[in-house]
Amino acid sequence: MVEKKRKTRDDNRGLAMKKNKKSKPSHSKTLTNPNKNNNKNYKNKNGERRKRIGPRLPNALRKEVEHMNPRKPLNSDDDEEIDSDDANDVYVYEEAIPEEESRKNRRYDPVDNFEYELPEQFEDENVASDDDEDDGDANGSREDRRGDEVEEEDEGRHARMLQEITGLPAEAFEGKKRKNDVVISEAYPESEYNPSRDVLDGDGHINIQDLLDPLHGKSGFSKLRKSLHRMEKKSVPIHAPLPKADQEKLDRQLTYKHSKKGISKWESIVKGNREAPTLFFDEDIDLGFSSVGAIASEFEPRSEFEKKIASLVNDSGVVEAHKKDGARLLELNKISFEDVKDRQNRLAKMRSLLFRHEMKAKHIKKIKSKTYRRVLNKDRLKAAAAEMEMNPEAAKELAMKQEFKRAEERMTLKHKNSSKWAKRILERGLSVQDEGTRAAISEQLHQHALLTRKMNSMKDSSDDDDGDDSSDEDDGDDISDTSDQDRASKLFEKAKEKTLKVIEEEDEVPKSGVLSLPFMVRGLRKRKEAADEEAKLALEEYESSLKQLEDKEVKGKVKTGTTKSGRRVFGARKKQVEESSNKNKIKVDNYYGSSDSEDNLEGREGIDAEQDTNNKFLKDVNIDTVLFREESEIGHDPVFKSFDEIVKGTAPKTTYDVAIFASDSWKKVKKNSRKDNEQIKSEKKVDANIKNSSKIVEPVLHDQDIEEVGDDCDSDSEGHMVDGILTSGTKSTYELPSQADLIRRAFAGDDVEDDFEKDKEDVLNEENPEPEKPVLLPGWGQWTNIQKKKGLPSWMVEEHESAKKKRDEVLKKRKDANLKHVIISEKLDKKAEKLLTKTLPYPYTSKEVFEQSIRMPIGPEFNPVTAVGALNRPEVVKKAGVIIKPITFKDVNPHERTEEHNKSGQRQKKKSNGKATKSMNTKRIKVK
Amino acid sequence: MGVKEEDSTISKIMPPIEQEINDEINMKVKKYLRGEGANLEGLRDKKLKGQLAIREELYGKSAKAAAKAEKWLMPSEGGYLEAEGIEKTWRIKQEAIAREVDILSSKNQYDIVLPDLGPYTLDFTSSGRYMALGGRKGHLAIIDMKNMGLIKEFQVRETVRDMAFLHNELFFAAAQKKYLYIYNWQGTELHCLKEHGAVLKLQFLKNHFLLASINKFGQLHYQDVTTGEMVGNYRTRLGRCDVMQVNPFNSVVALGHSNGTVTMWKPTSPIPLVKMLANHGPVSALAFHSNGHLMATAGMDRKIKLWDLRKFEVLQTLPGHAKTLDFSQKGLLATATGSFVQILGDFSGSQNYSRYMGHSMAKGYQVNKVLFRPYEDVLGIGHSMGWSSILIPGSGEPNFDSWVANPFETSKQRREKEVRSLLDKLPPETILLDPTKIGTVKPTRKREKPSKQEREAEMDAAIEAAKSITQKNKTKGRNKPSKKAKKRQEGIERAKKPFLEQQMEEEESSKKKKQKIGEENELPKSLQRFARKKATS
Repeated sequence: MVEKKRKTRDDNRGLAMKKNKKSKPSHSKTLTNPNKNNNKNYKNKNGERRKRIGPRLPNALRKEVEHMNPRKPLNSDDDEEIDSDDANDVYVYEEAIPEEESRKNRRYDPVDNFEYELPEQFEDENVASDDDEDDGDANGSREDRRGDEVEEEDEGRHARMLQEITGLPAEAFEGKKRKNDVVISEAYPESEYNPSRDVLDGDGHINIQDLLDPLHGKSGFSKLRKSLHRMEKKSVPIHAPLPKADQEKLDRQLTYKHSKKGISKWESIVKGNREAPTLFFDEDIDLGFSSVGAIASEFEPRSEFEKKIASLVNDSGVVEAHKKDGARLLELNKISFEDVKDRQNRLAKMRSLLFRHEMKAKHIKKIKSKTYRRVLNKDRLKAAAAEMEMNPEAAKELAMKQEFKRAEERMTLKHKNSSKWAKRILERGLSVQDEGTRAAISEQLHQHALLTRKMNSMKDSSDDDDGDDSSDEDDGDDISDTSDQDRASKLFEKAKEKTLKVIEEEDEVPKSGVLSLPFMVRGLRKRKEAADEEAKLALEEYESSLKQLEDKEVKGKVKTGTTKSGRRVFGARKKQVEESSNKNKIKVDNYYGSSDSEDNLEGREGIDAEQDTNNKFLKDVNIDTVLFREESEIGHDPVFKSFDEIVKGTAPKTTYDVAIFASDSWKKVKKNSRKDNEQIKSEKKVDANIKNSSKIVEPVLHDQDIEEVGDDCDSDSEGHMVDGILTSGTKSTYELPSQADLIRRAFAGDDVEDDFEKDKEDVLNEENPEPEKPVLLPGWGQWTNIQKKKGLPSWMVEEHESAKKKRDEVLKKRKDANLKHVIISEKLDKKAEKLLTKTLPYPYTSKEVFEQSIRMPIGPEFNPVTAVGALNRPEVVKKAGVIIKPITFKDVNPHERTEEHNKSGQRQKKKSNGKATKSMNTKRIKVK
Repeated sequence: MGVKEEDSTISKIMPPIEQEINDEINMKVKKYLRGEGANLEGLRDKKLKGQLAIREELYGKSAKAAAKAEKWLMPSEGGYLEAEGIEKTWRIKQEAIAREVDILSSKNQYDIVLPDLGPYTLDFTSSGRYMALGGRKGHLAIIDMKNMGLIKEFQVRETVRDMAFLHNELFFAAAQKKYLYIYNWQGTELHCLKEHGAVLKLQFLKNHFLLASINKFGQLHYQDVTTGEMVGNYRTRLGRCDVMQVNPFNSVVALGHSNGTVTMWKPTSPIPLVKMLANHGPVSALAFHSNGHLMATAGMDRKIKLWDLRKFEVLQTLPGHAKTLDFSQKGLLATATGSFVQILGDFSGSQNYSRYMGHSMAKGYQVNKVLFRPYEDVLGIGHSMGWSSILIPGSGEPNFDSWVANPFETSKQRREKEVRSLLDKLPPETILLDPTKIGTVKPTRKREKPSKQEREAEMDAAIEAAKSITQKNKTKGRNKPSKKAKKRQEGIERAKKPFLEQQMEEEESSKKKKQKIGEENELPKSLQRFARKKATS
């Protein structure tokens, strides 16, 4: 029989091998299961086997099923056995499952394992089931097979049956059965896994009770016992585990419940935060460094470079030297020989370059080619133009230059045919000249025009004003002089005086500001010296020119009658002055040219500016004298004349006015005026004078005044005024109005009211025009005679009626519908519409609520200081740079919290702070 | 007879009855709350409700603080005249008052006689510290009223019709013969505003920095004095007009015309906001109460009328002429005709003005202008023989707010205030008849389309009408009931037709609109795949 089994097993093995090859190793476990079952079938598990197999399934399907619930703890050890046994098997399953695990649920008797050393049969499950059953029947007794623990019920039944039959207690049978089992096997040496026989015997069997007994009286004993008891009681069969999806769902539900509980405790805090009008995040602020110094003190060199620098700076030698005095620093500050040499070389190179440049410049200067010059000039102009566009400074400079040129030109009149050459040519007559000369002359004139054309000066007029002020006083005596020479000499003298004064004047050295810095002071002094130098030169000039003038006078070459135009005179004299000043300038330039000091440029600029102002000053003086004379020539007579004319012109007109407006007492005046025009004229003159002196003496004149004013005054007020002055205190204020006036006043009202009603009607019609009255077109839609009889068609009438009704309704809605005497404009003002909101702002749902909520102004002008802060506090109070920490849990009663919010921010902050520290919890949640 | 002056502090303190104080404070709180809070019960939005509740609470606190400040921190209370027995307040003469009051107040009673340069007009700065004086014949002066120092006086040698201070005492405008001029306090002419023409009356709108003028031809000009821009130039079309006053509440300019109408203008509208028939004769004077609800007009029809500007109705009609009218800060009304000045007061609190005081100038003095001095119990009178100042107890506001108008302003404060007021300058379009409307929801335009329910009702009515038409009996053979029924049905259909058509049209248009919106809201290409796909038909 054994042999046969073996055969079948061999066959099966082949099959199994095939299967194994087909399947993946992960499936191997499930695959081997049936085999193991088969193995066991030898002994006593036929019943179990039968149950296990269940319906016959195709392999693939079963694989699936088994994959879904892979837990078959019963067979792991068997598995191992098999594998260890059949070493020659191709498939080796090496997974070792601990014994304990397999025994955990104690499905089988421990004895079972040792019944046979090896499962000998290995057959296909499909085939096996029948065979096994047969085998089982043939092989072992029924009782053995029923030893399975899973089939305890069966076993129990069997035991009972035996008991009934034999009359012996059930235990006896069980023990016997076991004994039988034990007898068969004993192939392994005794070990943990293979307990010895006496252990397996009933007597030597260690049960839990045995293990527990020594623990009796220990601390956890009762607990342990209880749990044990429970375990024993709970002998309900374990259900198949739920599908994974369901399990996960349950898991999730549980997790949700749990986490909900955890989170809901935050609810009150979050709610409080949400409802709070303001959140404060300015607790425990530490914004770090407050000053640059603090930051610097914390600086630590990190990068390589920083470290290097730090090592140099913090070098003990240097620090020491700094601390003591600078002397040692010098020692430290040694320069290497190479450096010095380098520097020398560089300097030499620069010098040579400069020299070469100089030479080049000299060479260029010598070039006489006109074309070259022209080209050069053009280039320079271009460059200048470009620069002017680029920087305003240059533009200003250029403008200044232009101005200077213009002034020069106007003073010297160099291009105005005043040269010897031009004079000669003009003397001979232009028409006689050849074309080239004429062109040259015209060119010169053109240049003059160009130069003297008024430019938009960059300077303010204030400079000129300053000049004016000083010059005005001087002018007085100038005017009286007639001889130019005299004036010139005087001018020179004055200029001399001024320059002397300038020289004598001490410069006020500013004691503060930039100008008080030592180098500035030095510069100023230098400049001052230069100016003095210049002034001395100027003085010499003046003296020399004065001498010249005197000589001229002596020689009698002076022209005295040449005061036709001030300008020419001015020009001639100016020329001299200008020349002198030019000379000055040149000299100054030279002077500076020789000096190589650093602030050369500055100094020169300053001097230039001074020069300019100097020139200007002189110019102003001259111009002013001229102007003044012109004015005095033209001014006086015409002014008076025109004044007279005006008076004359107005005189007849005013008399006419008087004639019109005068009544009763004024008629006399009128007569007077008619009688004697001359007289009135004179009076007028007086009037004009009086006006100037603002005194009103004569009533007549006073009236004329009123007349002048009169065309726009109420006659009423005039009367009062006259009354007030003429009859003050004598006349009562109330006059009886004339009859006509009374009547007019009495009936004034009716008219006004009608007018107003008409007005209102017009306005209403403009907004909602009245519907047109239906017109009957004779013969249209009906025969005329029928039309005549029936009148208008009903639909027309109806339409008209409805339109009328509509209009009435609209008019009723107007604000002034019930006010007869008021028209309130309903016109929409589009400009004012932007002051209204187009739609209700978001959280509001009703207009009333919104409008009531904005009724209170919240600005500081309308609220006491104590309330403004709370009214205007932003939603979040936070300082820049504060890191918002996650909220901490604190056990706060929500009602309490709302009250807290109402308190001022500072206090609340502190309070909450204290609370937070008291009931600090490690749990944190991010603020939403 | 007793005279109480504003400066006198409360001599006897009432025993503190808490209830009384409480009531008083409650009254003031009500004033500062500026109306009822919203009814939160009806609100469904809980969040909004909560927010509004918090807001309301803050408002309440603010109002309470303000009320308390007013109750306890206001240093003085207004004075008044009290008649004893059969005495009448209007019989009390200035001399009698002068005997009773302190020296400082009695200094405010004087006549300055300037007989030559004709009737004078006055203007005070808002603090009442400085006065501008303009004589008809060209005499302009600025006077510091605190020490009665003449700051500047000069002659323009032209008719001067009106004067007005600009935002502070440093500048003033004078309407002269041909043009409007602006001078500074040193009398330097800064501007000649030729565009205004020959101006008759001048007003300056402080909050908007607008100079309003009405000229000989009835043209109203508004010029922004900060930018120089001419904001408005409107023809009133009602002829010459020399009555003009600004409503201090809403800065609306009111003009009184010769046909008895008063028109109210704003700078952004070419037609008057309100045109009302105030008097039957030409309007001779106008004045506004500082709360903006009360207007007084005087006409040549010998009537002085008090108007409620909220309802545009006459509150009271008083007999008498008035060449000039003015309301004081505390609501007294000064009227003047000829050489007689009368002060009316409302002591019952029910807008019922009655005689309070009177003052007659020397005979022959023609009063040209009366003007209450702010923050003082003083009335300035400009007349043909110079100007006078009399005491009217209880006319001025006793407590000045130095943030609003400070009579003791230093030059530094003035400069700061100038800057602040320029920053707070309001644009001209904020001038409305009801400035509280600013910020509210724009009123919806008139609804042209009837609502769905209305339309349905209309349709039902039409169907009913069609059904109820009785049909004529036709000739024999044509009078079948089936035909009749058919015809009736047709009638009903015909009645229905226009409504249905309209409905269809609407639906179509709405569909189009929807489509448009859908097109507009097309997502960017990258996000389109996330859009929910429509079930395409």
